[in-house]
Amino acid sequence: MIDSAAFISFLEKNFQFICGVPCTYFKKMLIFLAEHKSELQLQHILATREDEAMGIASGVVFSGKQAIVYMQNSGLGNVGDALTSLAQLYKLPMVLLISYRGLESDRSFPEHDIMGEVNEAVLKAFNVPYWILSESGWESEMNLALKEMKNSSSPVALLVKDGVLSE
Amino acid sequence: MKGFEVITAMKDYISEKDIIISSNGNISREVYHHLPQPQVYLRGSMGLPVAVGLGLALANPNNRVIVVTGDGNFLMGMGSSVTASFYKPKNLKILILDNKSYFTTGGQQTVSPALNYSKFIDSLNAEYKNSKEASKDQIKEDLSRFLNSNTFAMLHLIIEASKENLENIPWHPENITKEFTGKISKLS
Repeated sequence: MIDSAAFISFLEKNFQFICGVPCTYFKKMLIFLAEHKSELQLQHILATREDEAMGIASGVVFSGKQAIVYMQNSGLGNVGDALTSLAQLYKLPMVLLISYRGLESDRSFPEHDIMGEVNEAVLKAFNVPYWILSESGWESEMNLALKEMKNSSSPVALLVKDGVLSE
Repeated sequence: MKGFEVITAMKDYISEKDIIISSNGNISREVYHHLPQPQVYLRGSMGLPVAVGLGLALANPNNRVIVVTGDGNFLMGMGSSVTASFYKPKNLKILILDNKSYFTTGGQQTVSPALNYSKFIDSLNAEYKNSKEASKDQIKEDLSRFLNSNTFAMLHLIIEASKENLENIPWHPENITKEFTGKISKLS
């Protein structure tokens, strides 16, 4: 598992805002955010839907600041218009941290099966470049994602599998 | 009153430092043509103007951020008004222009009449809240109190369903971003 303190410290250096809808896969990271709220230079904004989170992040990016949006991959089904008619259309760079549900460890949760199967195809169809976050190479994967985000001035995604950001 | 008449009446209260987010369709066109430029003119993103406005308000605490949205857009993203009210940024003002229809797409009716806006806005505890029919003799006072309130504010105005024949916004969204971020960088 990636150390929550190290991960949040990395986010703090690259973003002023973090916004999203939770997934169990982010539990540790979200607990860390809540517990260290007062000393962090990273403003955490709750959202009711994933496209709303992208809307809030877009407002932040329109202001010349940086935002990262977290969501479960079920929420990927909710953000199609926020991607194509807002963040991509207006060239608003942001990182989407998406939990990769529906793989082997989720066999008792059939609600994730279908999105799990098409998750990467959906990102490809929307032309969102993505990286799969690994425990050993997460910093270089995040740096690659950030570099692409800046070059394209558009959203990029990081997929988070079970056990990577929470036990 | 008609929507563009309300938007035109806002002009007297808007300064260069203000940030406006307009919802897609006629409202964005009217804001583009009648109010100081540049602003965040949404072209798609149906349901998201309040969310975008919240992001702008939180990232620019020293500037007034005004969301101008129609009822169709507002209803699609209704959860965002709850999120906005959770944070209650003092600089965020949400104006809902309610013609009870999706006017840009041909005037199809919305479900807006089912919502008691007065009670809904009241339940969000906005410090400034008002829900009424827009009227020519009161619009100046209503807009002035709404826009000059030093608090999270929501104003719901029932308007006549009608539109002006305005040209499409000539800027590509990429240019909207370029113009707007240019303005923001000068403000800070």
